[in-house]
Amino acid sequence: MEIFWFFSAITTLGLIVYWFQILAIHLHSPKQYPSNREGASLPSSFPPISILKPMRGLDDNLFDNLESFVLIDYPEFEIIFCLQDRNDPAYKIASKIKDRYPEEDISIVTERFNEGLNPKVNNLMPGYRIAKYEHILISDSNVSVGKYYLREIAAHMRDSSVGLVTNVIRGDGGHTIGSIFENLHLNSFIIGSVCFLDKFFKMPCVIGKSMLMRKADLEAIGGLNSVKDILAEDYIIGERMHKAGKKVVLSNHMIDNVNEYWGIRRFLNRHTRWGKLRWRIGGIKYFSELICNPVFMSSLPILLWKPSRITVSFALIVSIIKIIGDLYIGEKIGSRLNPLTYLLSPIKDLLIGFVWFIPILSNTVVWRGNRYVIGKDSTLSRCPESGVWSWRYRIFDAIRARLA
Amino acid sequence: MMLLCDFHIHTKYSDGSVELRRTIDLFGQAGFDVIAITDHVVNSDNSIGKLAHRFRLSIRENNFDEYISSIRQEAERAIDKYGMLVIPGVEISKNYLSSYKSAHILLIDIKEFIPACWSYEMIFLEAKEQDALIVACHPHHTTDIARDTLFLWNNRDKYAKYIDAWEIANRDDVFNVISLKKYPYIANSDFHKTRHLYSWKTLLNCEKNIESVKNCIRHNKGVAITLFRN
Repeated sequence: MEIFWFFSAITTLGLIVYWFQILAIHLHSPKQYPSNREGASLPSSFPPISILKPMRGLDDNLFDNLESFVLIDYPEFEIIFCLQDRNDPAYKIASKIKDRYPEEDISIVTERFNEGLNPKVNNLMPGYRIAKYEHILISDSNVSVGKYYLREIAAHMRDSSVGLVTNVIRGDGGHTIGSIFENLHLNSFIIGSVCFLDKFFKMPCVIGKSMLMRKADLEAIGGLNSVKDILAEDYIIGERMHKAGKKVVLSNHMIDNVNEYWGIRRFLNRHTRWGKLRWRIGGIKYFSELICNPVFMSSLPILLWKPSRITVSFALIVSIIKIIGDLYIGEKIGSRLNPLTYLLSPIKDLLIGFVWFIPILSNTVVWRGNRYVIGKDSTLSRCPESGVWSWRYRIFDAIRARLA
Repeated sequence: MMLLCDFHIHTKYSDGSVELRRTIDLFGQAGFDVIAITDHVVNSDNSIGKLAHRFRLSIRENNFDEYISSIRQEAERAIDKYGMLVIPGVEISKNYLSSYKSAHILLIDIKEFIPACWSYEMIFLEAKEQDALIVACHPHHTTDIARDTLFLWNNRDKYAKYIDAWEIANRDDVFNVISLKKYPYIANSDFHKTRHLYSWKTLLNCEKNIESVKNCIRHNKGVAITLFRN
């Protein structure tokens, strides 16, 4: 019975934190979302911006995502699609967009740059070199934005003490179970944590899907080159900006991360990788994530003690609270997810609970066929080709191949 | 730049798992230049075919016009939004218990309904009359024995003259016999599920319009195949 009371207490704590996350989202959200708002109230003069889009492979909804940037209402901006290879399937989409809008300032850079271990930074470097303007926006290819996105985020840069503007992301789409889980997770845990840390702890929680900076500020903290071997380059850039005395602003303009056809494996892989990052960066703080998963914590007495009326009822009640809470967040952020999909939220939380343990057991990631060891602050280093490390992976790969 | 094409795509009009509109968006978002929607028209002269008709896994004469008109409507949207050419077609599916008796034939740019229970000659002649492109699908042994349709290959001496092209690759399978016989070839996904997007495709060096595409395949010049992967 002690086990039950122990986990009940942790679950209650988790629910309290969850309530604060909902409050943070509530406070962060304007009454009406800027993506639907006329840009009339915004300043009339805006700095020209270079949008850098690192691309690799076909993201769900890629054409629409890229097109949403071309359709932005903003006085002066250029878009630079950055690819490593003309044979990348994303090259064709970038070319189609460029051909469809010949009057827009769009460039496609295909240059192989392999100096760093972070492929996104490698992709960005050639584009960064040719960016015309002082203000640069690094924006992932899997996001879609509203018409006034640039106006909203550029307005923050009028304050010279602001070094970086980032955005909260909202999961959208979802035709498969993996993508539904992904969107539910983005629209509950991820958005909740980002808003919570920003509102109550003033922690710079930068999301790499949208980062607006001045070149001068970026160069002052070492430039892109200084993060070429770092997996969580977005977080580290934000942290360095913060330490350099520059403000990191979380804009309330919501950007959509469209996930349509993910499999479960892709969902698990992504959150395992993100978990590894947070474990290597946050250290002991990583344990708070488990506590902040009330569904998982409330289910543990069933696994560790016994399935009884009280343990099952408790887990069910917590699951219902979580479903209602996630539904509220979804409503608040203008999510277009089918309300019925929120019934899957507790299952997703259970999966995430099990995924939480993996980073503690493994500190490697496989990226583009190469295996890397994640070190302090998510610094990447290549896995040794010989010795105990290599044998460990050979055995692991052999088991995996056998299972496959 | 060569046109990235897939001429063998199923939707929920037959046994595909994705609706027509979403299928168009999926291929458009992935940068395709030309696709053909080819839902099954199954023979109804045996119990397998009757089941397919019973469960609406086949285009029927009474919904053929609606099917073609939906494709044409989507084709307009696709060319406007993605610059992607969408060609209406069907896959005539003659299914029997024995794979040696079964055959699947793509009729691309079909205008009028052609029943699958007609004889092969009648189907081919009617397709020619409609100026449709005739493609023999998965003509040899595949990795999935249940999908084998070997009739056309085993009777190629009789029917090859009617066939404009043969599938040299279908989804993950490659049929080297087509290459050995030097038949005109294309490669397709036989798309039923979203994951089938990543499969063998055709590359054509021609103008992006229906006539040029058909001529390019018929003359089989400027045709290449590629394994489309992300």
